[in-house]
Amino acid sequence: MPKLIVRTIDLSKVYRRGKVNVPALNNVNLQVSSSEIVGIMGPSGSGKTTLLNIIGGLDKPTRGKIFVDGVDITSLNEKDLADYRLKKVGFVFQFYNLIPILTALENVEIPLALMGAPKDERRERALNLLRMVGLENRADHKPDELSGGEQQRVAIARALANNPSIVLADEPTGDLDSKSAMAFMRIVRDLNRRNNQTFIIVTHDPLVVEQCTKIYTIRDGRVESA
Amino acid sequence: MFSWSLAVRNLKRRRLRTALTASGIVVGISMMFILLSLVSGMETQARSMARALGGADITVSNSTSFRDRMGGGGFFGALPSPSTLDASIAETISGIPGVYAVSPQFSFSGSINGRRVTVYGVEPASYEIVTGGLNIVEGRFLSENSDGEIVMGKAMMDFLNLTLGQTVNLSAGQEEEGRIFTVVGVFETGMIFQEYAGYVTLADAQNITGEHGLVTQILVKCEDPSTVSDVVSLISSTVPDVRVTTPTATIQQASQMLNTLTMFFATIGLVALFAGSFGVINTMIMSVTERTREIGVLKAIGAKNHNIMKIFLAESLLIGLIGGGVGVAVGSILAYVFPMLTSGLFAAGASPFGMRNPFSSAVNAGLGGRATSTIMFATPAITPLNITICFSLGALVGILAGLYPAWRASRMKPVEALRHA
Ligand SMILES: Nc1ncnc2c1ncn2[C@@H]1O[C@H](COP(=O)(O)OP(=O)(O)OP(=O)(O)O)[C@@H](O)[C@H]1O
Ligand SMILES: [Mg+2]
Repeated sequence: MPKLIVRTIDLSKVYRRGKVNVPALNNVNLQVSSSEIVGIMGPSGSGKTTLLNIIGGLDKPTRGKIFVDGVDITSLNEKDLADYRLKKVGFVFQFYNLIPILTALENVEIPLALMGAPKDERRERALNLLRMVGLENRADHKPDELSGGEQQRVAIARALANNPSIVLADEPTGDLDSKSAMAFMRIVRDLNRRNNQTFIIVTHDPLVVEQCTKIYTIRDGRVESA
Repeated sequence: MFSWSLAVRNLKRRRLRTALTASGIVVGISMMFILLSLVSGMETQARSMARALGGADITVSNSTSFRDRMGGGGFFGALPSPSTLDASIAETISGIPGVYAVSPQFSFSGSINGRRVTVYGVEPASYEIVTGGLNIVEGRFLSENSDGEIVMGKAMMDFLNLTLGQTVNLSAGQEEEGRIFTVVGVFETGMIFQEYAGYVTLADAQNITGEHGLVTQILVKCEDPSTVSDVVSLISSTVPDVRVTTPTATIQQASQMLNTLTMFFATIGLVALFAGSFGVINTMIMSVTERTREIGVLKAIGAKNHNIMKIFLAESLLIGLIGGGVGVAVGSILAYVFPMLTSGLFAAGASPFGMRNPFSSAVNAGLGGRATSTIMFATPAITPLNITICFSLGALVGILAGLYPAWRASRMKPVEALRHA
């Protein structure tokens, strides 16, 4: 029985838009075992991003608890949450979100620098990560000199820099062609097998869904097993 | 972290905006710098003036003479024969309560090797007690038996191409026959015009001019500097028909005026800097807004509030450093050009700030009205201290102006920042 890495208990999120309450998540009880690749599907506005943000410690739920590696992250303060994001979580966004004025290598170095790693060490590690995603020869290129697929591979290298236990990806292939999407998922599969890293991927992409070990569907803030 | 490279690259990416923002600081800093340099220049002059005037608290001279001489030819011009006091007045003054020491002096416009020069006849011992003595850079000062010896200013020595130990011909006027004197010492004051002078013994001066038993000034040192004004009134009431002046007190007044000037200038500069800092605040708020999404990303990957704060503070500090650096450079150029621009004004006797030059009167009083005001005007002094002050001030403005925008950036909620287009 693999160990549980993420467990949500009656997780609810209600946004207030003026005087109107917008329910985004409704009593979500989700369990993710370590070393799984979980796909989350669902129509637009169903609450996928909201769930991912809460698991990643970017947002707080209105009600409920969420345990990651046995720690209730809803009880963490702002600073500890930042620490949690730095050490335990890696984020991959649909639009890559690389820092445009930094090179690929420097982008990958950011989380290492935030950890306080010495310059030589972080340079070497960042280069290794770029090699892993097949971009060591593009280390000194700025994001606007890279294709979308390449940028997303830099982004996943950045997400993995501090060796997080979970990688959260919000429609990572949404902006990629199928070839790039396949390359991206190959990397995800390799990492998952080699490092036992857990991936939670919000997606509509059949290419992604194909590679997932588990699929959940969200509808109106409720999680259904597929 | 990446704070510095991020700051440098972001500023480079928006060169024009950076330049415009920094120029707001440049205006304030360069203003501060030239004004501080001017004040420093005046201070330097005040200091050497104070040294030149020595420790004489009070100068006593003939009351009728001074006015006669005001219209005279000034320092380098021909002077009418000096108005004198009876040497015995020195005795009277030394008996006045509060007086520590007196030193009679006979100064006249003489001629050394045919060059017009101010000659001071002094009693060496009392002169040193009252004034603290000259700043001797070569040889020695006069002593009690210094008949036929002269101590000359460095500038004068250079001008006449003389060296220590050589002899000169000193006479009371260009037409008159002189006497041979040996140069035994050289003094420096830091002010060229004061160095066109020679010091001989009082007796030699009286002999050359034929004014036996007479002096032109009596220099007085008080027991307690705070009682100078009391002693002045005592001298005025005891000795009739003398002019009593307090050169060091005048210098003090001048320094007080300097302090006021400094405050005034500093205020103007600060107002300009204040205006410049609003430009920085504005630019930094723009920069924070433009990079909202970037802030969200950085927070998502684990940046803490202080990391974000540092990124933006580094940027505004850099703007401040650029502004401070360029400000100092521009200020230095202005400080250099300033005397040229205004030299016409000074020669005409006006001061750039619409007030009387505080030093010329002090020197006139101290040197018996021999100095002219044309040479007196301050040249700005570019000092390391002023450079440091202005540069740091630029940096400080950068930091202070960046605080609020950086704080706002650091407080952004990651989810909201990420949603920002
Ligand atoms: N900050 C917010 N304020 C108010 N309502 C919000 C906010 N964020 C999300 N919502 C609402 O919550 C619901 C869920 O949003 P969420 O972004 O999680 O959907 P999603 O499943 O990611 O959709 P999509 O596939 O379009 O990205 C939606 O109705 C959305 O309008
Ligand atoms: Mg979404």
